[in-house]
Amino acid sequence: MSTGDLVESTEVDLDRFLRNVERRALRMAELGCGQRDAAFDLVQDAMLAFVRRYAERPPAEWAPLFHRVLDNRLTDWHRRQNVRGRWMFSFFHDDDDGDPLESVVDEAEPGPLGRLAGDQAGAVLDTALRALPLRQRQAFLLRVWEGLDVGATAIAMRCSEGSVKTHLSRALSRLRDRLGEFQ
Amino acid sequence: MNDLDHEWLRRTRDLLEASTQALDAETLSRLNRARQAALASRRRRLAPMWGGFAVAGASAMALALAIGLQRPPPEPASTPASLESPAAISTGDDGDDDLLAADDLEFFEDLDFYQWLDSEGLAPAPSAPNPGRPL
Repeated sequence: MSTGDLVESTEVDLDRFLRNVERRALRMAELGCGQRDAAFDLVQDAMLAFVRRYAERPPAEWAPLFHRVLDNRLTDWHRRQNVRGRWMFSFFHDDDDGDPLESVVDEAEPGPLGRLAGDQAGAVLDTALRALPLRQRQAFLLRVWEGLDVGATAIAMRCSEGSVKTHLSRALSRLRDRLGEFQ
Repeated sequence: MNDLDHEWLRRTRDLLEASTQALDAETLSRLNRARQAALASRRRRLAPMWGGFAVAGASAMALALAIGLQRPPPEPASTPASLESPAAISTGDDGDDDLLAADDLEFFEDLDFYQWLDSEGLAPAPSAPNPGRPL
């Protein structure tokens, strides 16, 4: 295989990888910033930066590296919003703070499966995910949806594996609380 | 732990996947254009590099060709010019030049003498002519 063929082959692989990840990336960005247009800009910028910096890396490394770039842009977006005073409260909200009412069990609560089974299930889930602090939401989406393991998620989030586990544990706890007591 | 295997989390994944399938055509088109733009940026970045390799290769070939043209053409095989200038033998690139050592040249220079010796029946043993020491 000539070098030109190798370049072409890499482009085919890149196209396949980006095509596979782009929709989830858009939804993750949208859940992170709450705006479709802003989310699209973040994904577009992440694609360009990812291809520029990491295209020549082994394809097995692409997923955590792409999400690292996207996560970085999402964090920057939140920082800019903070500077402009249009900041989402949840990003700064201390993970240990909580609404005391959240710990009260509602006997009529249908549970997470019930809440996620109705016509409005998607909207309910979006609301619950958007209410999570940024890092918890990222840990949840990367681990549960994107399917990255703890190590790859740590690379994507630029933190330790222990932090990933902590963020994920808190995210699961909060989601269970918001979506209903899980049994 | 395998909290990630809980049924409600599988349902969550299904809902999230469904949300990606519900993206409108305009959004999908924008994503496609963004992806193509990212891939095109890589092609643009690599193009000057490949162009540089091509220019370097062409330059090297041109230089080699120029050097080759400036060298004198090889003498015709039938002209033993090297006999007139034995010193040139050792500087030639042709490996066959090594077959003609300086002592052998003396033999050819004295060839008439050896032919006379042969005609007089005075030639030395045929297996070991010694041009440096005529009889």
